[in-house]
Amino acid sequence: MSALLEIRDLHVNHGDRPIVDGVDLTLEPGEALGLAGESGCGKTTTALALMKLLPASFNQSGTMTLRPPGVEEPINVERRTEAGMQVVRWRHVSLVFQGAMNSLDPVKRVDHQLAEAITLHERAASAGDVRARIGELLTTVGLTPGLGRSYPHQLSGGQRQRVMIALALACRPSLVIADEPTTALDVVMQAQILELLERLREQLGLALILISHDLGVLAETCDRIAVMYAGRIVETGPVREVFDAPQHPYTKRLLDSLPVIGGSRVLAPPIPGGPPDPSDLPQGCRFRPRCPYAAEVCLQDPPLREVRPAQAAACHFAPWDEWPPVTEAAVEGAAG
Amino acid sequence: MSALMEARDLAVHFRAHRAVARAVDGVSFEWQPGEILGVVGESGCGKSTLARALLGLVPPTTGSVARDGAAVEGKAALRDLRRRVQMIFQDPYQTLNPRQRVATIVAEPLRVQGVNGADHEARVRRAMEDVGLEPERFLDRYPHQLSGGQRQRVAIAAALVLEPEGLICDEPVSMLDVSVRAQILQVLIELRQRRNLALLFITHDLSLAWSLCDRLAVMYLGRIVEQGSAVDVIEHPQHPYTQALVAAVPVPTAGARIREPLSGELPDSTNVPSGCRFHPRCPRRFEPCDRVDPPLLATTGPGQLAACLLHDPALAPDAVA
Repeated sequence: MSALLEIRDLHVNHGDRPIVDGVDLTLEPGEALGLAGESGCGKTTTALALMKLLPASFNQSGTMTLRPPGVEEPINVERRTEAGMQVVRWRHVSLVFQGAMNSLDPVKRVDHQLAEAITLHERAASAGDVRARIGELLTTVGLTPGLGRSYPHQLSGGQRQRVMIALALACRPSLVIADEPTTALDVVMQAQILELLERLREQLGLALILISHDLGVLAETCDRIAVMYAGRIVETGPVREVFDAPQHPYTKRLLDSLPVIGGSRVLAPPIPGGPPDPSDLPQGCRFRPRCPYAAEVCLQDPPLREVRPAQAAACHFAPWDEWPPVTEAAVEGAAG
Repeated sequence: MSALMEARDLAVHFRAHRAVARAVDGVSFEWQPGEILGVVGESGCGKSTLARALLGLVPPTTGSVARDGAAVEGKAALRDLRRRVQMIFQDPYQTLNPRQRVATIVAEPLRVQGVNGADHEARVRRAMEDVGLEPERFLDRYPHQLSGGQRQRVAIAAALVLEPEGLICDEPVSMLDVSVRAQILQVLIELRQRRNLALLFITHDLSLAWSLCDRLAVMYLGRIVEQGSAVDVIEHPQHPYTQALVAAVPVPTAGARIREPLSGELPDSTNVPSGCRFHPRCPRRFEPCDRVDPPLLATTGPGQLAACLLHDPALAPDAVA
């Protein structure tokens, strides 16, 4: 079976600053991929590049091929014009972004906004069909159809986020990209939204790219995870393998610096410093200045290569069978 | 030994249109010297209002706040309190004056409190070193020349410069990236170790509260519904609300599944349910829960209290107790 989405050698530059620097990603139909990493690592830029929604000051290159089920010719996103992309966006790929619940139109009722999204791609739909579809969409995201008559300010944050997900589903896409969909929500509401995403995947066979800095959220929702650092994927693999046996020092230290209930209450020393500025990237491995295991060889760029079955890491020393204990890492420019 | 701070039946009500929002609605607790006390709960549960009320930033509707066993009353007492107990906020982007250099920002509390000018430089330098910022590199910078983590460090330095006994931290790391978050937590932990600084740590992050805090208070709709040692409250929660909160925490362990998230949402604080305020969402409610407002009751956990009738031997049905 061919992949739903294939991204090859994606580069995005902002002026002379590389924001995304050679990203390859493959997504199977119905698969959930987690994109992890800290602010500025390029995860949102990757998503926007795929939707061709980056401002004109960004340059993108690389190939992005979509093969939605039922569409015979593969869609070469990189060759599409703006007009061509309008047929792809929302119909094949839709995006739920961070704080999206605040981007609903405040002066239009929810059902009106959903109707606009539906008729955008199904112009011929009758009023009755549209009404039925609105009810179906609201039910799908766990809202009562009667809520369609509300204005956004009458809804809670969680309900608004559900409406945004309903909008994303309006044109029956095969891929939804959710960029930090639960970051602004409390833990209870977050659990409800994550459960909804999981149910949608099962019911609709939806593929999902979930972008989050919260590794716990990704662990619960995704099949596979890709960890980004300074514009590159530094580790990727099945969620279980990456969390149980991380193969890149960045992943390892990120996981160790997070408290996990029931684990150790004494946390490992934090990763010193901060991510590099894209206009001033370190030579070789980009994590080198913050890595306690860095050596001479790390001045050479480490390629992303398979180091264990299905698991790839961009580290010269991978595979790591055991991790030497970390003493206080001395790093140039300590405070991040 | 008397508590560093104490809230006695504290309530803060706001007038909202024609309704009254009961943001904090009868809260009593003690915060001991050198203790890390966590206050956890969802947005809108009243935890930030509680923190502001402790420092007199919002006036309490009823109840009182005490420091070292004496009620804080009048301007002089409040001024003295704010010297001994400082506060930092979630968003270091909003709390630092963008037109002032770091040196001015950190020295500001000294000027406000009228500390002798000759001491300023040494105290500012010491506060900067305490938060891991080299004075030479950072004192002349403006906030926009700092990263998010560095800004939060500056906010902490400004709070420390008066050498307070307590620091109220309102979601101090929730806007920061994971690796930077760990650095700021380490700064706070070291301050407690070195200076015996007490922390009142307000957060919605239960994993963090569990690893960092000595004791925890769980808030729901303006009330503390459970309190006890952080480890006991998170690992053996006794209130159905705490149990649901803990179950909703996503854990970075592969294959973890979400266990029946709590249905519904936090009600509006202008419309607090009768009886136990959690009863409309409670999976374990029984007959008198909609009528009886439970006080904090002793549970099987030592020193662990829960405001739930399941822990009232006279009312609890045996089958569920």
